Amino acid sequence: MADNMILPKDPRYLKYPLEAPFDEEKVRWIASNCSRCSVCKWVDSWRVKSAKYARICPQHSKYLYDSHSGQGKCDLALALLDGKIKWDEDPEIKDILFQCTMCGGCDAMDKSIRDAELVKMYRWLRAEYIKKVGPLEEHKAMLNSLKQYDNVWLQPRMKRNSWAKDLADLGIKDLNKEKAEVLLFAGCTYGLSEELKGTVVNMAKILKKMGVDFGTLGDQEMCCGSPPSKTGNLAEFERLGKANIKKFNELGVKTVLTPCAGCYGTLRVEYEELGEKMNFEVLHVTEYLEQLTQEKKIEYKKEIPISVTWHDPCHLGRMSRPYVPGKDLEGVYEEPRNILRGIPGIELVEMERIKEYAWCCGGGGGAFTSFKEFAQWTAQQRLEEAKDTGADILVTSCPWCETNLRAGGIGMEEKMEIVDIFDLMMEAL
Amino acid sequence: MENISRHERHEEILNAFEAALGEGNVKDNPVTVNAYFGDWLPPKTLGTSVPPEFVVLPNGTLEAQAVIKICNRFKIPFIPVGSNQWSMTSAPNRPHTVLIDCKRMGTIHEIDEKNMYAVIEPLVSLAQLHAEANKRGLYIGSPEASAQSSAVAGHLFQGMWGVGYRLGVAYRNILGIEWVLPNGEILRTGSFSQDADNGFWGEGPGPDLRGMLRGYAGAMGGVGMVTKMAVKLHPYPGPKVWPAEGHIPNMTSTLPEDRFTWDIVKYDDLEGAINFMYEIGKAEIGGVVQKWPTVYYIWWWANSNEEYWTEWKKRTFQDNVKNAVGVSLWGFTSSKQTEYEKRVLEDIIAETGGKRIKQEVFDQWVPRTANNWIRDTNGSRMMRPSGTFLALRLQTDTLDFSVGQVKTGYKWVDKFTPPILDSDGPDWIGGYDFGHFGFGETDFPVEKNAESLGDLMGKLLEMTKEDVQNGLENGVGPFLGGPYHAMAAPAFKYDKLLRGIKKAIDPNIVSNPPHQIPMDE
Repeated sequence: MADNMILPKDPRYLKYPLEAPFDEEKVRWIASNCSRCSVCKWVDSWRVKSAKYARICPQHSKYLYDSHSGQGKCDLALALLDGKIKWDEDPEIKDILFQCTMCGGCDAMDKSIRDAELVKMYRWLRAEYIKKVGPLEEHKAMLNSLKQYDNVWLQPRMKRNSWAKDLADLGIKDLNKEKAEVLLFAGCTYGLSEELKGTVVNMAKILKKMGVDFGTLGDQEMCCGSPPSKTGNLAEFERLGKANIKKFNELGVKTVLTPCAGCYGTLRVEYEELGEKMNFEVLHVTEYLEQLTQEKKIEYKKEIPISVTWHDPCHLGRMSRPYVPGKDLEGVYEEPRNILRGIPGIELVEMERIKEYAWCCGGGGGAFTSFKEFAQWTAQQRLEEAKDTGADILVTSCPWCETNLRAGGIGMEEKMEIVDIFDLMMEAL
Repeated sequence: MENISRHERHEEILNAFEAALGEGNVKDNPVTVNAYFGDWLPPKTLGTSVPPEFVVLPNGTLEAQAVIKICNRFKIPFIPVGSNQWSMTSAPNRPHTVLIDCKRMGTIHEIDEKNMYAVIEPLVSLAQLHAEANKRGLYIGSPEASAQSSAVAGHLFQGMWGVGYRLGVAYRNILGIEWVLPNGEILRTGSFSQDADNGFWGEGPGPDLRGMLRGYAGAMGGVGMVTKMAVKLHPYPGPKVWPAEGHIPNMTSTLPEDRFTWDIVKYDDLEGAINFMYEIGKAEIGGVVQKWPTVYYIWWWANSNEEYWTEWKKRTFQDNVKNAVGVSLWGFTSSKQTEYEKRVLEDIIAETGGKRIKQEVFDQWVPRTANNWIRDTNGSRMMRPSGTFLALRLQTDTLDFSVGQVKTGYKWVDKFTPPILDSDGPDWIGGYDFGHFGFGETDFPVEKNAESLGDLMGKLLEMTKEDVQNGLENGVGPFLGGPYHAMAAPAFKYDKLLRGIKKAIDPNIVSNPPHQIPMDE
């Protein structure tokens, strides 16, 4: 009977048609199958808890026109591919393609109703825009920095490991000289930001307290490639990604640990696209520490009597796993929450939009450097949502989220303290 | 006016809109207008829709009025849209159209818990309204356009929602309307007419003018723009936060078992299923009673295309849910009511010769899918298997007459297959008001490409003509709006009335022509 069924002629309807490599044909497929249903604009209907926090897309929420939504970008993709709109015809093309924080909110909601990859489409469109129109002025400093220093913050290589300069007594290994199974990959922003480097120090101390034998790459650590990847500068991403994979394999590390959500998502998801064999697993430090919490290897000495709310970084959550059609959009959701629940005195209260339907901090996808006003507006929406929980502080584990949320909080009447989970743990230890 | 160029005229209109709305709230650039002419149903795929000339974002009734007055001044057509899903009629069908997008009109002005109504603007989604109502022990329904669609539009258009058995057609839950007529006048109906903020009374003093706007399938933007609406809310025995477990796309939803139950009962034939629906209505039990076609089970259930076609080829649903009716009992007052209704349902199943579907199929389907008929989140999955779907016909009649109509639908589906894809005989039948009347709809998957759609659309038009010749006894799909009324209105002898209304309120024929009925332009 089944053999006589009238099925679609196009075999792409019969199974997931978007396997790598990602190309123009796949963009056209995704875009032409947009049904304008608007799920890309709203939190999944079953997860809407209030009218106030029902939206998922920061760009569409801020700029309102449908052109600034997932649906609108599908329409734009078709118009560009069909030549109905030229790549340089309308200055707003740049804004529409590059304002987006690449948070994947639309992508996750869309996956509830169809097999699609909106964020991959956006990345491809950004890359095409750069090919056709040229790199964005706003990205040039980042790209020059990567070419010269292999980090995004125009810092000399010798400063890469400066966060660890006072930690000699901890015995952190230099994996260029010694062997260890665990590599701590700090990332450009945690490692080089004066404001944030204390967090990596705390995290390293926690790992050592737990007896973890780990090392770093010292001043040879390179950017993971996330910023060039997200901004469509794919050749630079490929250079960095392949170099990192080669290095990690050569060192024989079994586990790459990173505290940075941006690095984590890139290492776990985007490196797969490079087609290189990876002889190591990638874990976020919260995953690793949560395991130790479960094994009761962490003994807190101090009670912290506050209520906290957890902000899910996009690249630690919905964007941290390759999509398997029909399977859960998994992510590191429970691990940090379990760690927080394990700290004496802490009460965890949830925002309305969490996990795969979390509202973005606004700092991703290049928006933090290129579209500051929008990035900070997005952060303010998140801070307001956090305040509505009644929590004393917002906790997260992403240097981009922390930096952008702090920037967004400047000028807001009611302040919300933003704390990294490792700093909070350290306080209780 | 004749002596100015198209460009000068464009600039003049742009300046007028900007003066009324502010600079950022009017756009005419290519990438903006490009996002407003496609596509769920065929227009963009078939190349029959075009981008608007302007997209405008009014904020509130007075700005919407200003926009519509400008459209009249320049005699340019406008289309007001809510969530803008229904592209067949909300995508411009002619050049130089103004698209009125309500993105700045998303306020819930009031929820009156005691008198059970909400006052909303057109961007407010059904999910937003559900969430706010649920918090207050109240609810509404949502149509299968999914709850991310506009609640105002959901009440104006069609109104076939999952809870229609209990609450009646959605549009009969409309209380007050604040409405900018096509000529720019503001009309307030119901108690809005006396107090612009008070929406408890639908009928209001004087004649009830709601019928001018809605009709069964709405006016498709052909009679102006609703800028504010009061809608009924209803007592709800469920939790304040909608229960949902798991992650996208594998979410499940289970309401408290002492207040909500699901049963799926199958019969040997469609007549048996409809008889069951009548008996439930007579007993006045239940919150949801729906006879879904087989294809609905898998449309709403499948989490990926591969899962869809794999399961369809296994015939899990074709072999188990044919002629089945889904019933959700609601313990509105207490769990004792639920227990009472369960016993009544058992008696009805025994008396009508029904059998529950296999437990494993029930367990496979219900947690993931059934509660979509209370708050729909998976409706857009209808496009999953082939890119789009079409509805052959939609008729409203008594429940038992719906049987004959959907059976006629089978014949048409068979006649047009392919390009219609495998669907096991689409026959959705739902009842309103405890079975006082019902509707039937024949939806089926079609591949979204010009080849399949072009051929099919021609055949569907032939079918519609034949239906009209038969005095509409077989029902036709009124989704076409104006073109439908052009065919059907003379047959039902309401064309003079409809044209009279249109002429009186839209003298310049600017409100989304040719809807709601074509006029001499």
